[in-house]
Amino acid sequence: MRNRISTFLAYLGAGLTLLIAALVPFVLMGAFTNAIAHAGLHVDENYTGGSVARVLERNGYKILIYQPVRPHFLQRTVPFVQIAFEPVSALPAEVNEVIDLDSDGKPDVQIRFKTPADPQTALHGDALALDGKFLSFENIGNDSFSRMVIRIGNRILVRVPMSH
Amino acid sequence: MASSTTTVSRPAPFRGIGRSLLLTLPMALWSLLIFAPTFRTPEHDHQISSLLVITFMTTLFFLMMRTGKTYRWRRIFFVAVGFLFPVGFISSLIALRGSMSIPIERMVTGDTPFCYMVFPMLIVPAALTRTLIFPGSILPTESNPHSIAAMIALWLGMTLVLGKAWCGYACFFGGIEEGFSSIAKRPRIRRIDPRFRLVPWAILLFVVLLSAALFEPVYCSWLCPFKAVTEFPSVHSIESAIQTAIFIMLFAGLVVLLPLLSKKRTQCAFFCPFGAFQSIFNKIHLFTIRFDREKCVDCSLCQSVCPMMAISPESVREGKTLLNCMKCGACVDSCRKGAAVWHLKGTKVGLHPERARLFFLYGAWAMATMFGGYILANAIDMTLHFLPFHF
Repeated sequence: MRNRISTFLAYLGAGLTLLIAALVPFVLMGAFTNAIAHAGLHVDENYTGGSVARVLERNGYKILIYQPVRPHFLQRTVPFVQIAFEPVSALPAEVNEVIDLDSDGKPDVQIRFKTPADPQTALHGDALALDGKFLSFENIGNDSFSRMVIRIGNRILVRVPMSH
Repeated sequence: MASSTTTVSRPAPFRGIGRSLLLTLPMALWSLLIFAPTFRTPEHDHQISSLLVITFMTTLFFLMMRTGKTYRWRRIFFVAVGFLFPVGFISSLIALRGSMSIPIERMVTGDTPFCYMVFPMLIVPAALTRTLIFPGSILPTESNPHSIAAMIALWLGMTLVLGKAWCGYACFFGGIEEGFSSIAKRPRIRRIDPRFRLVPWAILLFVVLLSAALFEPVYCSWLCPFKAVTEFPSVHSIESAIQTAIFIMLFAGLVVLLPLLSKKRTQCAFFCPFGAFQSIFNKIHLFTIRFDREKCVDCSLCQSVCPMMAISPESVREGKTLLNCMKCGACVDSCRKGAAVWHLKGTKVGLHPERARLFFLYGAWAMATMFGGYILANAIDMTLHFLPFHF
């Protein structure tokens, strides 16, 4: 009797496996994708730059200042703040902005870069730290996740490293 | 060890043509269903590549039914996927960004295809902080259909069906090794210390813990041999130059040279942490290979032909394969006494082995057609695209 039950369950399982195989491309993949997308997961801020903290309006363009990104556990990265300038089409030929990153009323960094006319042109820029919390850099392009001046679509991203 | 055979007469086919065709019919319909969307597009290249893949997959399945052999025909598909995957993938990358290296801009925007090898390393950081330590987008986008959620969903669905057989029916990386391991007639390296089988588990533990601590996919950053034939971060520092050198050396050693010399899938059997991770699913997967002790003559042929070293003298005595068996069927096909059999857990060993094989193969080949078939079609499509004339 026990053998019969286990045989029945075995074939039931085998049939279910076939049913799952048939459902994978048409039903299950979509359902699993939705479930994973709604699981509250997010990609590491080290890649994405984190979330926007505040927006500064300028003459025709905006400066988006992001939340500081700090390393998790023993992550081998330097903390940084991402700044986005957009749209590129509205930026002056040379951007030279003094920005208060931490909203304490004092300037923190001076960002300088030449706005490229051609999207394919390699971009380089400087950051001068005006506060000890941040680190300066010179003539930097797509160097590292914590120190970069890059163009992505119609925006220019600058990541300024923090000293701690 | 294997003894040489002097058989001159061709063995009788396992099944008649009519019955084999009948058993192949569901798989032919499945292939048509999977590739049906391409016939609604106006591009003839897509249609030709789909038609070729449907014919290829259906023919191989027919031959499995007709001959009763699994490994030989599966290997043709698997090696084709292994060698054609880089063709399709690399040419897509070249067409998209002119290089195999990933610029930092692509990682920032999440335009990087997600690779299943990273799954084991994602689990701990995701569980602790809900953070995915891999660049990419969670949902599919126009520029990146291979998003994180889609690829995890695909892996999950396929793993429910295949379990560890992922390594034998889906992993295109394994196909490259299987290709190289099939070239030599006889192995130059005959004796491999069985303790090497434990190395993938050690690497799995090491990369999972280190990835959680460093919050980066350590295996992908430092150890993945297949970066050499897919994509890798652009070389812009001494560290990235060392990483690229490691990828190339591991690929040359573990994927090309050692499989050539040993006729084993050395990277899969002695290195791959994802393979070790998939082995865990063998505990719950319904299908397995068993040895009928009454028929077994302890000739060790099954052990010598197993590409994963998933059979040991002890396991044969117990009538089982080891946990890393990927159900490729090499042992069953080679056993002259019919002692190695396909088995459905819960049933009596050796009672209906062909029934167990059929149940397994329908599911496995359905997944192979969906996943590997897509890779083959993509590669053929890209090749047709680069031809000086178009259909």
